[in-house]
Amino acid sequence: MKRQKLWSKTAIYLLLIVGSIICLFPFYWMVRTALVGTDEIFQAVPTFIPNDIKLSNFTEALSSQPFGKFFVNTTIITVSNIIGVLLSSSLCAYGFTRINWPGRDKVFGFLMTALMLPFAVVMIPHFIGWTYLGLTNTFAPLIIPAFFGGGLFNIFLLRQFFMTIPKELDEAAYMDGAGHLRVYAKVTLPLSKQVLIVVGLFTFLANWNDYLAPMLYISSEKKYTLMLGLTLFQGAYGSQWNYMMAAVTIVVIPSLILFLFAQKYLVEGIAMTGIKG
Amino acid sequence: MKKGSKHVSWLISLMLVLSLVLSACSNNGNENTSDPAQTTNDAAKDAEKKEPVKLKFTYWGSPDEKKAIEGATKKFTEKYPWITVEPIQIPNSDYNTKLTAMAAGNDIPDTGYMTSDLGDTWAKEGKFVNLFEMLANDPELKKENYLDYIWYKQTPDNAWGISTAGEAFGLFYRKDLMENAGVATPPTKAENAWTWDQFVEVAKKLTIDKKGNTAMDPDFDPKNIKQYGVTFETWAGPINNFVFSNGGDWLSKDGKDFTLNSPESVEAIQKLADLINVHHVAPSPLAAKSLPAMNVALQSGIAAMAIGGQWMNLDLGNAKVNYDLAVLPVLKKSLTVAISGATVLFKDSKHPEEAWMLFKWMSDPAGAIDLYSSGLWMPTLKSWYTDPALIAKWVDANPAAHPPGFKDAMMNQVLNNGVPDSSYYLKNQAKIVSVTLSSLDAVWLGKKTAQDALNEVAAQIQPDIQGRYDVAE
Amino acid sequence: MEYIEKMNAASRTSKKKKKLKNLYIGLLFVSPVLLGYAIFILGPLIISIILSFTDFSIGAKSTKFVGLLNYKDMFTGKDFFFFPAVKATAYYVLISVPLTIVFSFLVAVLLNQRIKFRGFFRGVFYLPVIIPIASASIIWMWILQPDFGVANYLLRLVGLPTSTWLASDTTVLPTLILFSLWLSGSTIVIFLAGLQTIPSHLYEALEVDGGNGWHKLIYVMIPLSSPIIFFNTVIGFINSIQTFVQPFIMSSGNSGSGGAMMGGPDNASLLYVLYVFQNAFRFSKMGAASASAMLLLIVTLLITAMFFKLSGYWVHSEGDDSRK
Repeated sequence: MKRQKLWSKTAIYLLLIVGSIICLFPFYWMVRTALVGTDEIFQAVPTFIPNDIKLSNFTEALSSQPFGKFFVNTTIITVSNIIGVLLSSSLCAYGFTRINWPGRDKVFGFLMTALMLPFAVVMIPHFIGWTYLGLTNTFAPLIIPAFFGGGLFNIFLLRQFFMTIPKELDEAAYMDGAGHLRVYAKVTLPLSKQVLIVVGLFTFLANWNDYLAPMLYISSEKKYTLMLGLTLFQGAYGSQWNYMMAAVTIVVIPSLILFLFAQKYLVEGIAMTGIKG
Repeated sequence: MKKGSKHVSWLISLMLVLSLVLSACSNNGNENTSDPAQTTNDAAKDAEKKEPVKLKFTYWGSPDEKKAIEGATKKFTEKYPWITVEPIQIPNSDYNTKLTAMAAGNDIPDTGYMTSDLGDTWAKEGKFVNLFEMLANDPELKKENYLDYIWYKQTPDNAWGISTAGEAFGLFYRKDLMENAGVATPPTKAENAWTWDQFVEVAKKLTIDKKGNTAMDPDFDPKNIKQYGVTFETWAGPINNFVFSNGGDWLSKDGKDFTLNSPESVEAIQKLADLINVHHVAPSPLAAKSLPAMNVALQSGIAAMAIGGQWMNLDLGNAKVNYDLAVLPVLKKSLTVAISGATVLFKDSKHPEEAWMLFKWMSDPAGAIDLYSSGLWMPTLKSWYTDPALIAKWVDANPAAHPPGFKDAMMNQVLNNGVPDSSYYLKNQAKIVSVTLSSLDAVWLGKKTAQDALNEVAAQIQPDIQGRYDVAE
Repeated sequence: MEYIEKMNAASRTSKKKKKLKNLYIGLLFVSPVLLGYAIFILGPLIISIILSFTDFSIGAKSTKFVGLLNYKDMFTGKDFFFFPAVKATAYYVLISVPLTIVFSFLVAVLLNQRIKFRGFFRGVFYLPVIIPIASASIIWMWILQPDFGVANYLLRLVGLPTSTWLASDTTVLPTLILFSLWLSGSTIVIFLAGLQTIPSHLYEALEVDGGNGWHKLIYVMIPLSSPIIFFNTVIGFINSIQTFVQPFIMSSGNSGSGGAMMGGPDNASLLYVLYVFQNAFRFSKMGAASASAMLLLIVTLLITAMFFKLSGYWVHSEGDDSRK
C-alpha cells in the first residue's frame, strides 16, 4: 500500500514536472533567443546558454518603434476597459440575480446565445458603424463597448457568484431602508472582490493582448498599441528572430508581472463563481 | 402600471432607434466612400495654393526603408514648406486589411504603396487617379522618361499605378562559400548565364549536411542539412523568372486561356520543385514563414546562393555581407522579371496635385537619393541607367550594397532583358494567383507533379479568367 | 368581510406594484447589456444577414442584391477555398476539442492532489494563457522551425523522429492542435475549481470500501464534474470553431502580392474564420464573407443546441434549486 503510494506520488511529480517544462520552455527560449547575436542564432547545435549576451537586441528593438508611447496607449485602453467592464457587468449581473423581475432568466438565457456568435459576423457592420460616427482612429471603438454590459461572459461569471450570496444579507439591508443601488455598492460588491479581480484580470489580458480591433480601428502610429507595434516590428524584421524575440519579451513582461501578483486569486476566484454548467 | 410600461416602451423604442441609426450609418457610409469626391477636388483646386497641406502616405517595408522614406519626405517638406507628409508604415501582411479598413472609414491616404491584387480590384472601382493624365499635364516629365514596363494599366491610356521603383531578380551568392567549395563564381552577363544543369551541379556542391558531405556524395544525408546550395521563394515573381525564361506564361496571348499548364511552364516549375525534392539543394519554401528571410539566410551561411530580388541589396549592404550578384540561370532565354509594388494617387485625395508632387519627388532619385544608393530601389527614370554621371550617384556611391556584379547582372539586365511580371497584366489576379499558388504547394511538397497540379488548376480557374490588361479587347 | 377583501385587493395591487417596480428597476440595472446587445450584436447581425445577400465590397461604386448567389457559390465549389476550409475546420475541431477536454481534466486532477509546490504548478500551467496568442504563435514558429528550430534538435538528441511541424500540409493541423493543448490553461483552471468543490467525505467513503485512485477518478471525480465537463466542452467547441489568430500568424498572410499563403501549405490550415477573413479583406468580398459567416453561425447554433439536447443523458444533475 505504502509502496504504491510512493509510486503514484513519483508519477504525479514526474508528469507535473514534464508538463511544467513544456509550459515554461518557450519563455526560456524567447529570452535566450532575445539575447544572442545573428551568428549564434542559426547554429546547427543551439546553445542553451548564450555564449555572448547581446543586450543590444533590446536596444535595437526598443529604438526601432516608439514602444514607450505604445505602452501608454495600451495602458489607457486597458484601464478604461477594466473600469467599464467591472462597473457595467457587475450592475447587469446584479440585475439578473438580486432583483426578481418577470422574465428575468429567460432574458438572460436569450442574451447568452450571443456567446456563440462568431466575431466575424459582426466585425464588418461594427466597422461601418464606427466609421459613420467618425470615431475610427480614436480609442472610442476600443473602449466604449466595455461600458455596454462589459461582455456577456463576464456577466455570466459574476451572476454565477452573486447567486451564491445569501438573500438574507440583502433583506437585512432593505430593513435598514437601503435601495438596490446601496445594496449593490455596500453588500454585493464588497463580498465579490475576488471574482471581480478575476474578471478584471480577464479584461486586462483580453485588451492588453488584443490585436485585431486595434488593427482595424487605429491607423496613425501615434495611437498604436503594443500589439500593433509588435506586428509592425514583425513585418519589418521578418524573421530576424533575435530582434523579434526581444520585442516579444518587451510586450509580454507586463502581463507576466501582473500574473505573478494576481495568480493566487485566479483559481480561488473561479472556484467561487461556482461554475456548474 | 402606466409608469412602468412607459419606461419599458421607452427603452425598447430607444433600442429600435439606435439599431436603425446604426443600419442607416452603414448606408450613408457606403454612399460616402463610393462618392467620387469630385466637388472636393474642385474646391481644392480653387483654394489658395500655399495653404498648408497635409498628405498621408502609406507604405510597407523594413526599418531601413522606414528611415529612408522618412528622410525623403522630410526633405520634401524642406523644399515645399507648406506641405507636410505623414508617412504611415503598415506591415505588408496586413496591408490589404488596413487599406480596406481605411477606405471604409473614409480615411484613405492621399498617396502610397498598393499591392497589385487590391490595386487590381480597386482600379475597377475607379479609386485611383489616371497617371497618364497627370503626366500629360506635367511640364517637366514625359511618359518616355520612364522605363517602358512600369505602368499598371487598366486600358492602354489609363494607368492606375506606377511601379514604386525598378526591381528585378538576380542570383545572390556568398563569395567565400563559393571559394570554400572550389566552384567558379556565376557569370554576370546575360550571354554567359549558367544553364540549368550547371546551376544544379554547383548547388549540389554547395549543399552540405551536418557530417560535412555535399549533395554530390553518396553518403549525403538530406534530412540533416547544414548549408543549402540555394534558397528561393515561391510567390509568383520568382517563379515567373523561370516560366518566362522557358517561354511559358500565365495566360495565352489573347488572354482567353490559362496556360501555366503548358509544357514550357510546367517544365520550369517542375525544375524548381526538383531543387527541393529531387536534388535536395533548397529548403522547402513552405517553411518560409519560419525560415530566416533570404538575406539572413545568406548572411548566416544557411544558404550559399539565393534567387532574390534587387531590394535584398539594402539589407546585405547594411550587414556588410561578403556577397556578389549574377544573372539567373537560363532555361531558353536569359531574362529577369521586372516587378514592383505600385504607387498610386487616390482619387478621393483632397490634394491631388501635392500628392503628384510628392510622387515625383520620391521617384526622382535626385531628391531622395538615399532610397536608391542604399540598395533598396532602382530608379524608374531611364536616364539613371544610361548616364554614367547619374549612375555614379546611386550605384558607385555605395559599393557595399552594389557589389561588382551589380551593373551587369542587375542594372543592365533589367534595362535590356527585363520582362514585366504577371502582376502588370493579369486581370482578376487576386483570385487567380492565390488559387494557383495554393495548388502549387502540393508540388513544392513533392506530392504532385507540376503537370497534374496545374492541370487541375486550369480546369478550376477557367471561369475566373478575365483576360489581360496589355491586350486591347 | 368587506374590509378583508379590500385588504386582499390592496395587497394584490401592492404586490403587483412591487412586481412592476422590480421590473422597472431590474431593467434599469441590466439596461447596459440590453443596449449593448441591441447595438453591438442584434443590429450588426441584421446588417450582416442583409449583406450576405449582396455583392457588397468596401470601396465599390454600387452594391446590388444577388439573392442566394453567395451561398450557392460556396456549396457548388465555385468559391475554391470553401471546401478546404470546411475540411480543415472539421478536422481541427473534432480532434482538438475532445483532446483538450481529456488532457485538461487529467492535468486538473493531478493539480488537485495533495502535493508540494501546488500553487507553483498551477501558475505554470496557466502561464501560456497570459501572453498574447499572436506572440506565443511567433515563439512557437521559431521553436518549430524544421531546420533550425530547437524542437527538432531536441528530438534528434534523444533519438526520436523529427517533424516538419508547420511547414507541411500533413503536419500543420496536428501542430496547431498540440498548440491548443499548450493553451488550455483556462480549461484546466475551471476543471480545478470544480474538483475543489467535491466534498472530501466522498473520497473517504470510497477509501473505506477499498477503492483506489482509479476508482476515485471514475466513480467520484468524473461524474461529479460532468456539468463542468459539459460547460468546458461547449465553450471549447465555440472557441475552437472560431480559431483564427494561430493559423493567421503562423501559416498565412493577407497581401497577395507577396504571394502569402491563404491558410497554410496546400490550404491545410485554412480554418473557417480565417477563410471568412481572407474573403473579406484579401479579396474585398464582404458580401460573400458575410454569407460564410452566417453559415458558421447557423452551424454553431445547431451543434450547440445538439450538445444541450444530449446533455440530459450524461450530465450529472445535483438537483439543487437552492441557487435560484
